[in-house]
This record gives sequence, structure tokens and C-alpha cells, in this order.
Amino acid sequence: MATKKEEKQFEKERKAAMKARRKKMKAEGIEKYLTPEQISYNRRKAVIGSVWPIFRFLILFGLCFVILYPLIFMISTAFRPNEQMNDPSIVWLPKSLTLDNIKQTWQVMKFDQSVLTTVRLNLIASVLQVITCSITGYGFARFKFKGKSIMFAIVVLMIIVPPQITTIPLYMQYAFFKPQFLAKLLTGGSATSLINTGWTMYLPALFANGLRAGLFIFIFRQFFRGLPKELEDAAYLDGCGPFKTYLVVMVPNAKTSFLTVFLFSIVWYWNDFYVSSSFFTHNDTVALMLKNLDAQLQQDLFSGQSVSVRQLIVWLEAGCVLSITPLLVMYIFLQRYFIEGIERSGITGM
Amino acid sequence: MSEFEKDLNAEELENEAENPQAETEELTEEAEEPSEEISAVIEESEDTQVMETAAEEKAEEYVTREEPVAVNAKKVKGARISYEKKKQLYGYGFIALWIVGTLYFFIYPLIVSLVYAFHDTKVGAGGMELSNGGFHNFVNAFRQDQDYSKALVETLSNTAIKTPLIIVFSIFIAVILNQKFRGRTFARAVFFLPVIIATGPVIDIINGNMSTSGTAGGAEQFSTMFEANLVDQLLNFLGIYNISEKLTEIINTLTSDIFNLVWNSGIQILLFLSALQGIPFSAKEAAQMEGATSWEYFWKITIPYISPQILTCLVYTIVDSFVDPGNQVMEIVLNKASSWEHGYSAAMAWAYFAIIGVVLAIVVAIINKFIYYEVE
Repeated sequence: MATKKEEKQFEKERKAAMKARRKKMKAEGIEKYLTPEQISYNRRKAVIGSVWPIFRFLILFGLCFVILYPLIFMISTAFRPNEQMNDPSIVWLPKSLTLDNIKQTWQVMKFDQSVLTTVRLNLIASVLQVITCSITGYGFARFKFKGKSIMFAIVVLMIIVPPQITTIPLYMQYAFFKPQFLAKLLTGGSATSLINTGWTMYLPALFANGLRAGLFIFIFRQFFRGLPKELEDAAYLDGCGPFKTYLVVMVPNAKTSFLTVFLFSIVWYWNDFYVSSSFFTHNDTVALMLKNLDAQLQQDLFSGQSVSVRQLIVWLEAGCVLSITPLLVMYIFLQRYFIEGIERSGITGM
Repeated sequence: MSEFEKDLNAEELENEAENPQAETEELTEEAEEPSEEISAVIEESEDTQVMETAAEEKAEEYVTREEPVAVNAKKVKGARISYEKKKQLYGYGFIALWIVGTLYFFIYPLIVSLVYAFHDTKVGAGGMELSNGGFHNFVNAFRQDQDYSKALVETLSNTAIKTPLIIVFSIFIAVILNQKFRGRTFARAVFFLPVIIATGPVIDIINGNMSTSGTAGGAEQFSTMFEANLVDQLLNFLGIYNISEKLTEIINTLTSDIFNLVWNSGIQILLFLSALQGIPFSAKEAAQMEGATSWEYFWKITIPYISPQILTCLVYTIVDSFVDPGNQVMEIVLNKASSWEHGYSAAMAWAYFAIIGVVLAIVVAIINKFIYYEVE
């Protein structure tokens, strides 16, 4: 394979040669070289080539607008004073900007505190999840053992079964965690229930069963299967055990894959409100705060009166802005890894 | 060989440092094993299996122990066990954590919820109290509950309409995004953006907006843009009258639901994009040589090449739309669960899940016939 630079060079040369040939043909009369079908084919191609980019631009522009519309609306609303919501003369640009909404929402959501909690839960669970899922994925990719196909079927089942089915039994398991001494050890006290502690997130992640773990195992397996076997054989010959081979040879090769899974894991833990709302009774994380924001707002800003969503919209949107800003910043800088990671390592060739 | 052993020792030390408890266990095992010769091999594999089943109860303890044991056994019998067997044991070692976790966090809850489905449940002081076993939960769900069957039909038909639309749409977008043009990176980033945002609670507020907000540059203005009966106008303009109601309705769903369509197809676009990049350049060159138009190229080259990915996307889309907490069946199930009717909700979820399974099996069986796998 030629490198990218060389390929560009080839492309250039090819184009130059084509141009020269066409010039020569035109000078000597096209009919001498090409059949009528070829001429009409070329003509049609030229027409499509000139019209298509315009259509493409229109289609993409329209669809990008549909996607970005809520974001634009969010930003436009979050920074305008509440009174101007009902001003029909304002469409996108408010007459004056204000940070009050953001500040008030920050207080209502106890944002500094909940961000810290979320980040702590998120990072620990994601790191654990990436490590254990990669080990499991490697085991599935490179070793033959009895019952492997059945176990892999269970991995696929983990992707398909909605978490809603297992949540209630899981809640019971956490609430009456056995053995009890372990529960006491984990909670660092006399409590025997893990509900409302971070362990409801860390434990499944530690055992490769966190949020969407099935998908991550799948991605890792697919990636490790794609790596050449010679890599490992060389390591074995040099006297590495399988675990050391994995650590020293495979992990460095799987860097992008690790990053991709890690990023996705962070995004999903950040956004998750179903699992955390089942195992946390307080609104600790950002996603939970946002989920119950309208009730909180009514309580704190309108002293308990029920207010329609219309009147709350600026604060709701401010909450949205607050909670997706960290993700958006991450996405803007690491966008390459989200997309290319999946493309290269991912689910291709299922 | 000596280096090989050194590595193993190093590994072992690391493992032992983590839990000194295991050390004594290993020593006793070490003393016993040399006398047992070949039968030890069989026992070893049985050993791991026993552990797997026992692991359910004391998950944490076993997990830290399992790996050292496997490593240790290998060292002792290293010379006697065949290479294949060794690799098999290591395979178990690698997925041991997952096995324990799955038994405790996935299989066991799954079975328990199935048990709930056949009982009346009540939350007591020491756990769930079960009574009155039988099929009545399932019978109630289909016979008595009026909402459930209706919601099932609704969800199924919704998925049936939405899935092909999403697939076609995302193939179309992926083909466009695969071409070279300025701003491609930006467009790709934007199309993937919904995946980042739409999994969270933000989407609820966004969707809420779309239906509730008013005059000030809000949703109404936005949606009228799409909801004006442009489809009928266009059809009339083209001289097509009295087209079947159903078809107009489907087209209307497509145009008015463009928002949901775009916001639900991020992952699919990405999957197709990666499949498109797997098409070898030689195929394109050959097609150009033969004078294929882009239309022919699309149908004869692109579609066969990405057909395995179509199956993947189809399964993903179907599962995604069935599992979405926003769909009607899921709402009913969750409502029942939060009003303490756990058994009933579990029965509904399992019946629903069985239906999903059947649908998936049928779809996969049908589509599999049309897939072109490249033989290398």
C-alpha cells in the first residue's frame, strides 16, 4: 500500500495525464477515439458532477439545521431574560443577554456538588469498565474453550435485554447485599444495603457488567480479532505468558479502541438516569437533577406553586446547557476518536 | 523456559500481594497435585466449573482467587498439559471476572424476574415476598389490561414503519458523507452529535420544547414548516389524486417526523460509513472501466458490499426502538413497576421481550438470505 502522500501524488499525476489525453482527443476529433455510448456517458457524468454538489450541499445543510436547531434554540433561550420569552418580535437574538438563568439554575441544581459526584462515579466506573471489558473481549477473541459460543451468546443477550427487566431484582440484591460482612466492608460502616452508595455503579463495572458492557465486550472482541496473530506468537516465543502478552503487546496496539470505549462509557454514564434513579434515592447526579429539574424549579423559584412548562422554559434550557456543556466540549476536541474509533475498531464485519 | 517461569512467578506474586488469603490455599494444592498426574487435568477443568456455579453466592471472594489458582496450576503441571489445554485454561482465566459478574448481575436477576412474573409480589422487610404462583399475570396482561395489547400493536407497527425509513435514510446519508467535499468532517461531527446528546434526559426537554413552546421562535414555527400539507400539495401538483390514504400517511410521517428520523440514526450512519470505507478501490475502478453509472454502481457494488452491515443496523434499530423507555409498552411496564406491581410488570416485560425475540429471529432469517458475504 502506498502512503497517503504518495496516493495524493498518484492522483495528481493521473489527473494531469487524463487532461492531456482529453486535449489531444479534442484536437484530433473525439469520434476517432470513443464510441457514441462512451461520449454520452462522459457527458452525463460531467452534468451530474456539476449539479450534484449543489444538491448535496442543500440536503446536508437542511439536515444539519434540523440537528442543530434544538442546540441553537437552547443557547438562544438560556441567555435571554424571562420576560423576553413572550415577545413576538424576538426570534433568535434576544434584545439583551443575561446570566441570571444560568446562575439560578446552577443553585437549584447544586451544580458544583452534583458535577463532582457525577464525575467521580463516572470516571471510576468507566475506567473499571474499560479494563474488565477489554480483558473479557480479549479472552473471547483469542482463546478456544468449552462453552465459548454459549457464553458469547450471553454477551449478545446482554446487548439485547433491556435493563428494565433486571433492575428490580438487582435492587433487591443491593438492598439486602450478601454476604453481609462484605456489605459492611464496602459501605465502611454497619449498613448492609448498598443503595445510595457508589458501589451500585462500581461493582457491576468491576465485573464487566456495567452500562452497555455487552456492547463494549463486543467492540473489544472485534478489535482484538482483527489484530494479526503473529504479534502474539512473537511474544510467546520470547517467553511472555498470555497475561503479560496482553498487557505488553495487545494493550498498546489497542490504544484507540480503548479511548473510544472509554469516551462512550463516559458519555453513557453521564447521560444515564434510568439505572441511577433506581439505585439512588437522592438526586445526586447531573442527569437525575436535570430529569427532576422542573419540580425543583417550582419548589425553589416559585415557592411551590405549579407553573406551566412555558414559564419555566428559560431555566430548563439553562439546565440543559449546563449539563451538556462538558460533553460538548469533550466531543468537539475528541470528535475524531468517537468517529474514527468506531469506524476502525468497531462493529464492522459482524 | 526459565524466563517463562520467571514471568509466571512475577504474575503470581502480584496476584498474591493482592490477597494473602489465597496463598495458603495454593500451598496445599501444590502439595497434592503432583501425585494426581493426568486426572488432575480433568479435575482442573471441573474445578473451574464448580467455581463458576458457586461463585454466585460469594462473588467477590472467588474472583480474586480464581486467577491465581489457574496460574499456579499451570506452573505445576506446565510440562504435562498440552498447549491447547493450557490455552483453554487461560481463556477461562481471562473471562473469569465476566463470568462471575454475569452470573451475579445478569443471569441471576433475569431468572428472579422470571420468577416474579409467575407470582404475586409484595415487598417485605427481608426482601420480596412471593405468593399465588401461576400464569395469571400473563393472562391478565393480555385478557384484562386494555392498554397493554393496544400499546403492543402500536409499538410493533411504529417500529415496522420506522425501521426501513431509518435504514434507507442512513444509507443515503452515509453515501453522501463518504464522498469527498469541503466541510465533510464538520458534517460528520454534526450527524453523530445526536448520539452524544439523545441518550440523556436532555432529549426529553428538547422534545418537550418541540410540542409546548410558543411564539418566540419556538417549536410551532418550526413544525408548521413541516406539517403544512406539502405532501398532498406536491402530489396534486404532479397530477396524482386519490392516492391511497395509507401511503399519504406514511409519507406524512416521514416528512413531519424528520426530526426524530435524523436524531435516531446517528449510530446507523456511522456503521454504514465504516462499511462503505471497506469497499476496495479496485471495485470502483472496475465499475468505472465498464462504464457503470453511479446509479448502477450503487445497486451493484455498494449495496452488496454493505449488506452484512444492513443486517447489523436492522437488528440495532429494532432493538433500539423496542427498548426505548419512551415507547408505550415500556411506559406501561415502568409505571406498573413504580406502583409496586412488580410481578405484573415483570410478566409484561417478559411477554414483550419474547415478542421482540420472535420478531428479531424472523427478520434475521429473512434478511440473511439476501446478504452477500465476500469469500476470501
